[in-house]
Amino acid sequence: MKKILSILLTAAMVMTMLAGCGSSADDAAEAPAQEAPAADESEAPADDAADEAAEAPAEGATITVAAIETAYGSEMWQEVCSAFTAETGINVELITDKNLEDVIGPSMQAGDFPDVIHLATGREKALTETFIKDQNIVDITDVLSMTVPGESAVVGDKIAGGFTETSLTNPYGDGKTYLAPMFYSPCGLFYNAGLFEEKGWSVPTTWDEMWALGDEAKAEGISLFTYPTTGYFDAFFYALMYSVGGADFFDKATNYEEGIWDTPEAQKCFEIVAKLAEYTEPTTPAQANDQDFTKNQQLVLDNKALFMPNGTWIVGEMAEAPRADGFAWGMTALPAVEAGGDGYSYTWFEQAWIPGGAEHQDEAKQFLAFLYSDAACEIFAKAGAIQPVLNIAEKLEGDNQMFYAIYDNGAKAAMGNFAAYDGQVVSVTNREIWFDPVNSLVSGNMTKDQWVEGIKEYNDQMRENLVQ
Amino acid sequence: MKKRSGRNGFIFLCAAPAVILFTVFMVIPTINVFRMSLFKRSAYSTTEDFVGLDNFTRLLKDTNFIRSMQNTILLIVVVTIITFGFALVFAAILTREKIKGQNFFRIIFYIPNILSVVVISAIFSAIYDTNNGTLNSLLSLFKGEAVAVLWKGEDMVMISLIIAMVWQAIGYYMVMYMASMASIPQSLYESTSLDGAGRITQFFQITLPLIWTNIRTTLTFFIISTINMAFLFVKAMTSGGPNGASEVALSYMYKQAYTNSSYGFGMAIGALVFVFSFGLSALVNAVTKREPLEF
Repeated sequence: MKKILSILLTAAMVMTMLAGCGSSADDAAEAPAQEAPAADESEAPADDAADEAAEAPAEGATITVAAIETAYGSEMWQEVCSAFTAETGINVELITDKNLEDVIGPSMQAGDFPDVIHLATGREKALTETFIKDQNIVDITDVLSMTVPGESAVVGDKIAGGFTETSLTNPYGDGKTYLAPMFYSPCGLFYNAGLFEEKGWSVPTTWDEMWALGDEAKAEGISLFTYPTTGYFDAFFYALMYSVGGADFFDKATNYEEGIWDTPEAQKCFEIVAKLAEYTEPTTPAQANDQDFTKNQQLVLDNKALFMPNGTWIVGEMAEAPRADGFAWGMTALPAVEAGGDGYSYTWFEQAWIPGGAEHQDEAKQFLAFLYSDAACEIFAKAGAIQPVLNIAEKLEGDNQMFYAIYDNGAKAAMGNFAAYDGQVVSVTNREIWFDPVNSLVSGNMTKDQWVEGIKEYNDQMRENLVQ
Repeated sequence: MKKRSGRNGFIFLCAAPAVILFTVFMVIPTINVFRMSLFKRSAYSTTEDFVGLDNFTRLLKDTNFIRSMQNTILLIVVVTIITFGFALVFAAILTREKIKGQNFFRIIFYIPNILSVVVISAIFSAIYDTNNGTLNSLLSLFKGEAVAVLWKGEDMVMISLIIAMVWQAIGYYMVMYMASMASIPQSLYESTSLDGAGRITQFFQITLPLIWTNIRTTLTFFIISTINMAFLFVKAMTSGGPNGASEVALSYMYKQAYTNSSYGFGMAIGALVFVFSFGLSALVNAVTKREPLEF
């Protein structure tokens, strides 16, 4: 009797274990089913549109699109995917998540890649950068000469000038485009326009005016500057480099050219930042982390600091936050170095790309082309995401109209970023040597010279290990 | 004979699930970490280059890694000593003395342990706030003027982490010590008090030696949990900043493996931390070895 009981118990244990192992296989099979709502939605119109889209080469194929869910929400992606299926007959299995890397990462490590990934650079997990450094991204230069599905226009003619010539889309400087520019947002210095009106201050157009305003504000107990985290300095620095030395200096600097940091232009950049650190609200570095950065943003809403570098998303991000009476958002480009010089506003944009391991690359390219169609742009714009296509400004409303008009009001557009280098040889990121030390400059734990020394040392290593 | 083989079969079947699961989810991934630390690769690389011990030699020259390791060791030492001291004293008071509301204190001390690190970091964000924070308000009450200590600034950030980690850990260890203190027979205390031993003598001569086995176990826990919890606290509270001042070994590993796209190098850090925590635990275990005392 005892023996039978023990056999039964053992059998039960083995069964549970097998069930445990088995369920993972079930899960894998179920996973796509959970995505089914999105897939179903996109399939339904596919049948209707099948006849119209008869000329589509890969009708009935299914591509996987993975898109990061940001402040714009994920609904716009579902709508765009449905519209794409209706137009081309290609089904789309959509994956959206706020932590997209965690969702698609494990399957990619197992060799299963989505066909299109929409994910910007500059995120902590640096998935896009990793693919760039691995040279594991499909060349999409031919997409620029493709016709937008459902339209007669060519993709390259629709995308606004400059967007497909930056190091963000052509990371290897070989004249080929690897990443498609998506949702752009002008970055600049944000301030309380109401406060400026109340005090009778005018927005500075040169750095000298900036310092004068800083002294004036200090007398009233207001700091000139704050920043959410040092990560927000990328847009700031790039625009600063442009305004100090123009596109030529920017290109040399972002490619770590030898001796570039000893040029007068570079010295000017360092000087401005070091001086700005003196004018920065003193609690800023202690709050410049991913948890407390809104406290720094709040400083501007509370009239404790005048300017902060940011992007247009700030309006939505702080929509619920309390604010000083008469508060109104204002945005300005970075001041010019000299009177009459150019003010620059950095154009931040996201990227969509096709990983090297994608199975349906031709269909994926069609999808990328479709993202610039009038239909897609309109769906995106409804959610506040602005595609970098010509004549988009007419579709904007509210605060966005004012923000996106910054380039019409005299500011020049700055685009690009630091050239990719082999992170497996150089163990620091540009953020660590360029932007993070600003915290130490403000708190006085580091001098300007120490900061510049660090930049020189590591930039030399980066130059020797460029990914080309 | 037949009976024995049946018994062995039964033991084998009973142990098999645990052994298989342990191998699949613990042994193989650990070996993989060590293997990948010898390669140059990113997290999603389709190819990998064997580089031998290059990643490790680079690590030893990497000043940022050395700083993160220093921070880790600082946390292990300071958090362990403070938590250990407080937990022992509180446990002794709560088990030996008759205090009103004993259960109340026990629960209050234990609560931080059931909170998630994200909640704790939100609580401490309010405590450490420079302008309206509890801590600065309290200090200004004593000082008579506004105090603006930057608790998460470069100079104070490690102290702030230590305070939060001690606060979180005390209750857990206190309950563990209380459990073993409760099993010490009351008669021992009575007889020593007849011999004239005071409370402090009793604590050092009776309580401590009799819970020694428990203390040894918790010391290993301290090492392992401080290494792990430090990562969570840093991620949630400081993001390793300002300017890397609060980076610890595991957060640096994460940064290298993902943000800097050098997975192999990150795995080398992982391998080193693994060896370090194993070695340190073994060392502490060896140093604290005593003849076990029985009641």
